[in-house]
Amino acid sequence: MANRLRGPILVTLILVVVACGGDAATTTAPSSVTTAAAGATTAAGATTAATGTGELSVLEWAFYEVPEMWVEFGEAHPEVTPVFNFGASDPDIFAKYLAGSGEDIVHFYTPYLRFYVDEGLIQPIDTSKLSNWSKVPPLFADSCTIDGTVYCVPWDWGFTSLLYNTDMIPEVTSWEALFDDAYAGHVSTYDCGDCAVNIAGALLGYDPTNLSPEQLEEIKQLYIDQKPNVLFYWADEPTLEAGFTDESIWLAYAWNGAYYRLLNAGLPVAYADPVEGRESWIGQYGISAETENYDLALEFLDGKLGEQTGTNLLVDYAYGHVVPDYFGAVTDENLVTALSLDDPTVLDRTNFTPQISREQLEEYVAMWAEVQASS
Amino acid sequence: MRAAADLRRGPARWALVLPLVIFLGVFFLVPVALMGVFSFRPSLRGGVANWDWDPVLDHYRTIAASESFLPLLGKSVLIALLVGVVATTLAYPVAYFLAFRAGRKAGLLLTILIIPFWVSYLLRIISWKVLLGPTGAINSFLAWLGLIDQPVTILLYSRTAVVITLVYVWLPFVALPIYATMLRIDRRLLEAASNLGAPPATAFRRVTLPLSLPGVAAAFLMVFIPTVGEYVAPLLVGGSQGALYGNIIEIFFGDGINWPLGSALAMVMAVGILALLFVLTRTRPVRRLLDDL
Repeated sequence: MANRLRGPILVTLILVVVACGGDAATTTAPSSVTTAAAGATTAAGATTAATGTGELSVLEWAFYEVPEMWVEFGEAHPEVTPVFNFGASDPDIFAKYLAGSGEDIVHFYTPYLRFYVDEGLIQPIDTSKLSNWSKVPPLFADSCTIDGTVYCVPWDWGFTSLLYNTDMIPEVTSWEALFDDAYAGHVSTYDCGDCAVNIAGALLGYDPTNLSPEQLEEIKQLYIDQKPNVLFYWADEPTLEAGFTDESIWLAYAWNGAYYRLLNAGLPVAYADPVEGRESWIGQYGISAETENYDLALEFLDGKLGEQTGTNLLVDYAYGHVVPDYFGAVTDENLVTALSLDDPTVLDRTNFTPQISREQLEEYVAMWAEVQASS
Repeated sequence: MRAAADLRRGPARWALVLPLVIFLGVFFLVPVALMGVFSFRPSLRGGVANWDWDPVLDHYRTIAASESFLPLLGKSVLIALLVGVVATTLAYPVAYFLAFRAGRKAGLLLTILIIPFWVSYLLRIISWKVLLGPTGAINSFLAWLGLIDQPVTILLYSRTAVVITLVYVWLPFVALPIYATMLRIDRRLLEAASNLGAPPATAFRRVTLPLSLPGVAAAFLMVFIPTVGEYVAPLLVGGSQGALYGNIIEIFFGDGINWPLGSALAMVMAVGILALLFVLTRTRPVRRLLDDL
């Protein structure tokens, strides 16, 4: 009896294992980049992009689809329910848009603007139709401008700097600390080639938009030499924050969101103001070159620059909004500190992510792959 | 009887295999062929569906010129060999016990062996971080015993951690084919060996082991081939030093938006593994084993 049952039981179990293995295969692709909003991805169902008028579709990052993030548009157009599709990272969103996902609006981050423009995926923004455009400082407006034409509406922004454990490390004043052997085994940096070039460029005085092959080689060597000091390259903020929490990480390249959450958790952390300047990223919205809803899309983006939506972004998600008029709504001291809202000159001392070409991105990522592959 | 005979020949036979052939064709052969074609594409400019380009060998030249890509492929092959050998060695006694000693409890024990696999692969790897981390269970236990005063870092964020994790992940996959082969061994052969005076160790060495080797070979290949291209475990537990070749491919398909170079890297790996397997299967012992499968 036992012998007769053994065969079928084995076959069944093998099938179960194979089925579980198959399931595993479909779930083993963690996003290489976390979502901008809250450091985690959600499996929101993708829906077909709207094509007719009266509907509006947005290729967005998870957590930005909630009505709190488009309050003014929702009030002005209760008859329109925006349809949100999602991407997990800038490369993911760009690849989807390039493959023809076709949403009316797409949300990307510096330095991707130029790629969308070069591929003819987005069209110029008629800023005369944006009632809130005058509130956007030139610093942010310029980030959306190529050869005098505005191609996007800037919306969210944040810092990149050195986050460190003040119990373990004395005050950090330069990006040089990221390469300091004194912190070997307790350093983490972001798993991103173009970001790595920006930091090294600031440190070495090189222009990331115009690097010679020798300079890129020098940057590669800098990161290869740094490798033994790095415990892990982070791809999502929760992993980095866990490293600070268990004290395996003392110093890291980090966004201000991680700083804010660790401050709230009561950890002894500080966010450096390096002599070379902090780095900064900007989130931008483009409008599809083929949209049939251009005016509606403009209204949506105008609403994104509205006071209620801007305040919600600041307070709910702890990210910067491009309209400084709304900063006063932030009363949380930790958030004021994390975004340096009490320092009116900090943005002047910040290196905003430069616009690079696709070729440069490919070169920088290839350099980063060499760093990862080196032993 | 007639129906069974009909299934063995004529259109009915093709009707049975056709769904699988179509499935593999659409979801395996076409993507692999596309990847091969993409590896000669100059760049991804003009969109994924753009076919207006002349084939180039630039990406293969880039790989050949790189100081680290091919050496990393070599290291990945060695790590896959190590994982395959360790997993097979650890699984063999388990399979042996289940097949020859567990008796009626074999089914139950087999179920227990694979219970962890009812949990997603990703979750299991993440749970390893909880176990192996600086404040994880193992380090906490060692510190509590007073054996260490600083956390042992090699347990996480190292190639060792990648090997440990992959061996754990593959263990039941390795045990099952060996177990299945052992079940097929005719018990009368062992009785005959015993009757002819062979002590148990000799019977094992001369009868059980040779007859189970085809299962061992199959199990090893099941682990070795996917491990060469593995990228999830290195990503999660490998740290800065733990990258495998699959991670480099992923970089170009992901951050780099450079599918052509990623495709060329993938083709180099696929052709490399195929060449290695071709050479292996031409060696006499392996060929004999495979013939016995």
